[in-house]
Amino acid sequence: MSDTKNIITKHDLLRASLRHYLGVSTFNYDTGIASAIVWELYPALRKIYKNDDELVASLDNHFKYYNCNPWLSPIITGATLAMEEKSGNKVLNAVQNIKTGLMGPLSGIGDSIIWVMMPTILGAIAGSMGKVGNPIGMWIFLGIYVLCFLLRPYMYLLGYRSGTALVSSLGSKLNAFTDAVSILGITVIGAIVASTVTIKVGWKFANSGVTISAQNILDQICPAVLPAIVTYVLYKLLKKKVKMSWLIVGIIIFSMLGAAIGLFKA
Amino acid sequence: MGLTGMQVVLITLLAYVYNLDRYSTQIAGKVTILWGALTGFVLGDFKQGLEIGATLQLMSLGVSNLGGASMPDYGVAAIISTAIASTTGKGMAAGLAIGIPVGMLVMNLDVVVKIFNSYIARRAQTYADRKEFGKMRKIIPVATVIYPLEAALPVFLAVVFGKPVVEAVLNFMPKWFTVGLNVAGGMLPAVGFAMLLLYMPLSKYGYWLIVGFVLTAFLKVPIMGIALLGVAAAVRQYKALTEKNNSIDNSKNSSLEPNASGLTKEDMEDE
Repeated sequence: MSDTKNIITKHDLLRASLRHYLGVSTFNYDTGIASAIVWELYPALRKIYKNDDELVASLDNHFKYYNCNPWLSPIITGATLAMEEKSGNKVLNAVQNIKTGLMGPLSGIGDSIIWVMMPTILGAIAGSMGKVGNPIGMWIFLGIYVLCFLLRPYMYLLGYRSGTALVSSLGSKLNAFTDAVSILGITVIGAIVASTVTIKVGWKFANSGVTISAQNILDQICPAVLPAIVTYVLYKLLKKKVKMSWLIVGIIIFSMLGAAIGLFKA
Repeated sequence: MGLTGMQVVLITLLAYVYNLDRYSTQIAGKVTILWGALTGFVLGDFKQGLEIGATLQLMSLGVSNLGGASMPDYGVAAIISTAIASTTGKGMAAGLAIGIPVGMLVMNLDVVVKIFNSYIARRAQTYADRKEFGKMRKIIPVATVIYPLEAALPVFLAVVFGKPVVEAVLNFMPKWFTVGLNVAGGMLPAVGFAMLLLYMPLSKYGYWLIVGFVLTAFLKVPIMGIALLGVAAAVRQYKALTEKNNSIDNSKNSSLEPNASGLTKEDMEDE
C-alpha cells in the first residue's frame, strides 16, 4: 500500500471541492453533514478502493457524525483523503479521530471570521449605506464573499498536502498517533456539548416577593449541566441499541411537553 | 397594487435561490441587503428594497447561527418585507410587520427540514451498505433540493395571500408547538454528539470529556484554546506510547534478528 504512486490527482481534488458545496444542506441532528462528506469524497474513494467491501467500510466511517464550517472543512477531508490514499482501510480510526478532533477548532475559526466578524463589519457598512439608498456597500460585501468563494477549492489542496506529509512522517507510529489524537477528539466533544446544546428551564419560584429562576440556580451549581445530562442519557440509550429515530422523536415530544407546561423556554 | 403572476414566480424563485445558496454555496446568505434589493428590482423599486434590506441587515448584526443552531431568517424577512411594502404601498413598517414573523416561521420549519434530512442520510447509508452506490449518490442531493422549500413555500404563501393568511398560520400554531420545536432544536445536537462518543475510546480517555466541558461551561474558554490543550495532551500521550513501543522493539531486536518484529507485524495483518 505504501507505494509512492499517486492515485488522487489534482483533478480529483477539484472535483471533491466542487462536490463539497452540497455542505450544510444535508445537515441533520444525528450525523451532521456526514452525508455531504460521503457525497463529495465518493468518486475519490472509489478510485482508492477497488474492493467494494473496503469502500463500504470507508463510507460507513464517513457516515459517522461530522459537522464543520464548510469553508474550512476541506482542510480536514483533504488531509484524511490523503491518508486513505496512502494507507487504505488501516487508517480509518485515525481518519475518524482527526475529523472529530479538528472539526470543532476549525469551525471555531471559520465561524467567527466568516459568519460573525466579516458579516458584522461588512454588514454594518452595507446597511448604513443602503439605508440612505447607496448600494456600493452591498456590492463590496457581495464581492468579498464571491472572492472567498473562488478561493475555496484551494483549501482542499492545502489539506491534501498536509495529510500526505503527515502520513509519510508517521509511518509505523500510526497506531500511537490514532490513539493519542482521540484525546483531542474527546476533549473537543466535551467542549461542544457545553457550548452547542442549549436547554433553558423556564420555571420560576416566587418566595416572599423574590422570584428566583430555576435556570439561575442550575447555572450556579454547574453551567450547562442539563446538556451534559441529556447527552449522557442519549449515549447510554444508544449503547443499549435504542434506535436513533426513536431518540429524535422522543426529544421532540419531550420538548413539546416541556414547553406546554412551561418547564422549557425558547 | 397587486403582483403579476410573473412577479410571484420570480419572488418565490428568489427565495428558493437565496436558501439554496445559504446552505450550499454560501456566497450571499449573510448579505441580507442583497435579497431585499433584488426583490425590489423584480418589483421595479430597487431603492425601497435596498432600504428594507439594509434595515434588516443592521438588525441581524451579531446574530448568527453556529453549529447548526436555528435563528430568524433575515433573508426571507427581507424578501417578504420588500414584497409586502411595495404591494400594499404602506411602506417599510407594514412590510417588516409580516416579514419578521415569516422569518420566524422559516426558523421553525428549519428544525423540521433537518429532521427530514436524518431520514435521507440514513437511507443513503443503507444503500451504501448494500453496495448500491448509484442510489446512494442520487439520494443525498435530494436534501439539497428540498431544503430551500422551507423559504420558498412561506414566501409564496405570504406574497400570494398576504397578511391575513400569514397571521392565520401563525395563530394556528399553538405556542407549545413553536416553543417546543425551538427547544428541540437546542437539544437535538446532543444526539449527534452522543453518537460520536460511541466511536471514541471512552473507557481509556473518557475523563478528557470533563476537561473540555469544564473549560467551556465554567471558564468560557474559546474552542481554539481547548483544542490547543487537547493537542498538548495528545502529544504527551503520543510520546509516551511511541517510547514504550520503541523500548519493546529494542528489547525484541536484541533477542531476535533485526527487522523481525516489523515483518511479523505485516504478516499478521495479511492473514
